[in-house]
Amino acid sequence: MKNKYLFPAALFLLAVVLPFIVPEFWVHVLTEILIMGLFAASFNMIFGYMGQLTFGHAAYYGVGAYTTGLLIVKANVPLLVCLPLSMLSAGLCAAVLGYFCVKLRGIYFAILTMAFGQLVYYIIFQWYTFTGGDNGLQGIVPPAFLGKAANPYYFFTLIVVTLGMIALWIISASPFGYTMRAIRDNAERTEFIGINIQRYMHLNFIIAAMFAGLAGALWGPFNRSVAPDLCNWHHSGMPVFMTVMGGPSNFLGPLVGSAIYTMLMAFVTSFTEYWPMVSGIVIIVVVLVMPGGLLGLLGEKLPFLRQNEGNAKETKG
Amino acid sequence: MDITSIFTQFLSGLTYGTILFLVAAGLSLIFGVMNILNFAHAALWLMGAYFSYTFWNLMQEYSFAFWLSIPLAGFAAAAVGWFLEVVLIKRIYKRELHEQLLITYSIALILSDTIKLTWGVTNKLIVRPEMLRKPVFIFGSPLDSYFILVILSGAAVAIGLWWFLKYTRYGHIVKAAVYSREMVAALGIPIPRIYTWVFTLGIFLAGFAGGIQAPIGSITLGMDNAIIIQAFCVVVIGGFGSLLGTLVGSLIVGEVMSFTILFWPEGAMVLIFVITAAILIVRPWGLFGTPMRT
Repeated sequence: MKNKYLFPAALFLLAVVLPFIVPEFWVHVLTEILIMGLFAASFNMIFGYMGQLTFGHAAYYGVGAYTTGLLIVKANVPLLVCLPLSMLSAGLCAAVLGYFCVKLRGIYFAILTMAFGQLVYYIIFQWYTFTGGDNGLQGIVPPAFLGKAANPYYFFTLIVVTLGMIALWIISASPFGYTMRAIRDNAERTEFIGINIQRYMHLNFIIAAMFAGLAGALWGPFNRSVAPDLCNWHHSGMPVFMTVMGGPSNFLGPLVGSAIYTMLMAFVTSFTEYWPMVSGIVIIVVVLVMPGGLLGLLGEKLPFLRQNEGNAKETKG
Repeated sequence: MDITSIFTQFLSGLTYGTILFLVAAGLSLIFGVMNILNFAHAALWLMGAYFSYTFWNLMQEYSFAFWLSIPLAGFAAAAVGWFLEVVLIKRIYKRELHEQLLITYSIALILSDTIKLTWGVTNKLIVRPEMLRKPVFIFGSPLDSYFILVILSGAAVAIGLWWFLKYTRYGHIVKAAVYSREMVAALGIPIPRIYTWVFTLGIFLAGFAGGIQAPIGSITLGMDNAIIIQAFCVVVIGGFGSLLGTLVGSLIVGEVMSFTILFWPEGAMVLIFVITAAILIVRPWGLFGTPMRT
């Protein structure tokens, strides 16, 4: 059981060492990988562990990003205070919207999450006086102690994302996490043993949204601005690709997927503007050739990557 | 607000609703029969608009160019749709929901860039024939005369589709497939071939709608982004696989957009999503749909 922690530890070490080796441009890419990785991991709480596809997760990411953005720009609140507040606001949104989403399953869940996501997007997009509308918010600077260089903010992100991932790991490995897996595998039977599945799903939805909000909160100071596009459905598609690329049945799959996707994007966009086409082809190939994602594929060959949870998704039938 | 301006607003909502109906009818048909939510639908709609521009451009010296380019756009888009179905979509009918969505979403990304590569980034404009340039007056309220053509062709397509589903053998097969694919297959009907043709028909409608849309304004990249979401809303409101539902849904969305823009322009899209979400919560299968098999 010890080598269960080998892979995450190796990844963490790599994340600590890399910024000292690679040029500054790639440190920015690494920061983005971490932020999007946390976003994708929070998405996977709903997708991988609860078995529902959400196509509106960017709404909570965006709410988190705007909470931090507004607090910094309008009230000059310290970033460390903004982060928990962003989680809170994203969680509150999810508490309201998620209440309705968890009544539905499958395609209807996907469409309702998407409709709510677009609802949030259009509210942010149109509310010029408060959110700046399609101009977004500019001048979101990271706190002075992080300086202007790429590395300090990268390490700050690394710490926050690592803590976030550990929290998600603890939740997914807790009795609550196993209840989610039970609901995913057979909701009916789970209900029969006396579990209020809707309440559990709602709670999980809120948790996932809170961590998406945390990821969004990290984005503003990194990018120095936020725009309404962060909430729209194209942005909701990104954690879906990342998770499918990395492998939804592995806890670190979304993070690995984020690394592949973000690096590929940084690489491809450096010589062509046709990134959407390239990404489309890549996604088609991934879905058709390796449905379990990279870690799913490697897991068959390298057992140490596999997590001891019986990967019940495969046995769903 | 006087009665004439209400009427004008109603007609412009009706026009927009007609375009939405043409796009959403194919989307609803494809979802109803194959359970595939086609994210690429609006990209094919936009491709239809560009096709019609190209055909119109090629035949410009003939007077029939304008009229012929619209159905030709439908057929050209249908050819692309047929190719996509045979090469790609066919492989994902039995896959899981997220894989289907990712594939059709990827197709949308690829098509959008293909359009950009083929037709460039400059806007395209189709010049209407003389008779469609002036406004007509209906009960004293001015209306773009082309809008009449849009509404009439939408009505023609609605009637044609209704006739097809109600009176032809293939229409019956399609309707039966919406209820139970297993039963249809058990009767010895080649389901894969039906799927291919339903998909092609759906894309034909999208391409035709693109052709109809093209002369309204200029054709621009990214036009498809807004309409795909609205078409989803139409299909959700009306119910997947229901022709009548799609018609009612698109008129609701068209009119709500048209009237909200008058007194609360920022809220138009917000209101559409509120309606969509409310329908999903209360009646997930839509106003005229039937509860889905799972």
